[in-house]
Amino acid sequence: MDLTLDSEQEALLAVTADWCRDNMPLDQARDRPAALWTELEAMGWTAMTTPALGLSHATEALVFAELGRHLAPVGLIATAVAARWSDHSGKTALALLDPYPEAGRLRIYDPDGAGNALGLVGHMVAMAVLPADLGGVAMLDPSAPLAHLEPVPPFEPLGDPRSALHLQLLAAAFALGCADAARDMAADYARVREQFDRPIGWFQALKHICSDTAVRCAVARSQLLYAGCALDADDADAAFHVAAARQLADQAAIENARANIQVHGGIGMTDEAYPHLCLKRAHLLSFVAPARREVILGEAA
Amino acid sequence: MDIQFSSEEQRFREECRDWLNANVPAERRPMDAEAAIGFDKVWQRRLFDAGWAGINWPRDYGGRGLSIVQQVIWLEEYARAHAPWIGANFVGVNHGGPTLILNASEAQKTYHLPRILRGDSIWCQGFSEPGAGSDLAGIRTRGKIEGDELVINGTKIWTSFAHVADWQELVLRTEEGSQRHKGLSWVICPMRAPGIEIRPIRKMSGQVEFAQVFYDDVRIPLENVVGGLGNGWKVAMSTLSFERGTGFIADQVKQSQEIEDLLARARSSGALRDDRIAEQLAQMRVEVAALRAMTYRNISEVVRTGQPGPEASVIRLFTSELGQRLERMALLLAGEEILDFRYGDDDLVADYLRGFAATIAGGTAQIQRDIIGERLLGLPKSR
Repeated sequence: MDLTLDSEQEALLAVTADWCRDNMPLDQARDRPAALWTELEAMGWTAMTTPALGLSHATEALVFAELGRHLAPVGLIATAVAARWSDHSGKTALALLDPYPEAGRLRIYDPDGAGNALGLVGHMVAMAVLPADLGGVAMLDPSAPLAHLEPVPPFEPLGDPRSALHLQLLAAAFALGCADAARDMAADYARVREQFDRPIGWFQALKHICSDTAVRCAVARSQLLYAGCALDADDADAAFHVAAARQLADQAAIENARANIQVHGGIGMTDEAYPHLCLKRAHLLSFVAPARREVILGEAA
Repeated sequence: MDIQFSSEEQRFREECRDWLNANVPAERRPMDAEAAIGFDKVWQRRLFDAGWAGINWPRDYGGRGLSIVQQVIWLEEYARAHAPWIGANFVGVNHGGPTLILNASEAQKTYHLPRILRGDSIWCQGFSEPGAGSDLAGIRTRGKIEGDELVINGTKIWTSFAHVADWQELVLRTEEGSQRHKGLSWVICPMRAPGIEIRPIRKMSGQVEFAQVFYDDVRIPLENVVGGLGNGWKVAMSTLSFERGTGFIADQVKQSQEIEDLLARARSSGALRDDRIAEQLAQMRVEVAALRAMTYRNISEVVRTGQPGPEASVIRLFTSELGQRLERMALLLAGEEILDFRYGDDDLVADYLRGFAATIAGGTAQIQRDIIGERLLGLPKSR
């Protein structure tokens, strides 16, 4: 039993952080260059757990949390799941299928240039072919291009039930990253913004808001790593642990994003500043493979 | 990174489980203070004789010299078997002893550590004072050096088990006129020394578990100082790092069992069909899982580097607040019967009432949040 990072994981995480800082800064999340996706795929992040690379889900979760911290395209989640559990390689868009839209419009994230879309239906991941040239437009989350598809194309389940846990794990990792970003943004601001002739982070009322963001991240991160290991070990309770990670990461993302805006005060409510990017991303992620209460209570059929 | 225990560790778990199944006393820990102390001592002695006390303490001082992972495995099985609360041995076993291991002289360790493990000596803590609670550096109890003795005057408060303790980890001011963190010393104070007066204080749960202690010209040998004269703050911080770091592993592990017990109770009573209750139980089950993951991470960190990671303060805060919510849920599931609680009852109501200590003792939740904000996030110190 060891839940510390090994040197390989430390190195991979450092490389990821450096790359993201240089090529995918959060402050440009609204205006990502078209070539970014090709670069992301070239970095190999969507193929980490494929048999060819064979890295662990725990390692992948760490890296995806780092990507999520920079509000990376959400299509990475779907693409990594497709690469691991289907024959499809290349960009896969993320579909929101829960509840399954029997009729009406389907929401597809990051559709530009994607041949397929993938999402969670009940306990199974399902995939469908997308029409060509489906373009996305930023809606609530300005960093996530969204397309509405009508009618709903036929979705085929992927077969291996672990694909659903994989999708939940990566969504949790992205949400944790989003929570980390909000925590750091709030603390950075609380250290420099002055009122009453001192940094606002000096005041307990503000300090404790920041401390709670750190607590939520630490809690969610530990469970995420445990869940990744449980999935790697084919643990009998893996579904529970992934669901737990998913729920805690979600709560951390939304609560931290809200806290960050409060710490920023007036500027935090503006379109110009960055706190709302975390908030909007957190709300989007809350619809991606959310945790199911019956799994958490051990009452799943 | 993996969550699997080695085959040796799994065998160890089997051993723990077998022994506990055969030896956990059927009777509850008595409510009466005197009787409870006897119970605690007998139980601690049985643990020691069977080799379960001080699992990760050095062999030279009566421990078994095993790993902290094995210590955690023992505590997990201990909670699963619903074995008794450690009671009056808490201070000695969980932070007095570890502080001695880290800071004390050979003679101090040789004398005290085996006695703690055997349940022969009960320890209490002497940190808080009426004027020094969260602001611990405001300590005013003083020890004047006279020859090879310290002459102690002052008072300590909220001292758990003071009335039954043999020894105290006492932090006092040994340098006249010194301020704040300077000039303090951590000394081993014999609780039966002349000049010590103990006034027990009843808690709102009915138990008399803590007290105010008065020192009137109490003379103790200078050789009882631990870690050197004037180094009291540093030694006290190492005590608190146990109290805040690994000292509460038992509590963390116990919560895993408590949530399962609550869930089983809610399921059998039908309360789980109430959506609000199901929601809260689900949330707590998730948080307890994360707490276990955090505990494992912290333990892994100790194994790798020899000390808890910076997130230990997060664990302490999270454990204390989660524990209080578990106690509240137990109350909610019990319903109106809680209204029949009387002093002397040792039940879930008493647990709920005494559970308020979790966010007060050993550094309030507010102090823990200060520490997290300052040490983890680099926010300016407000004190």
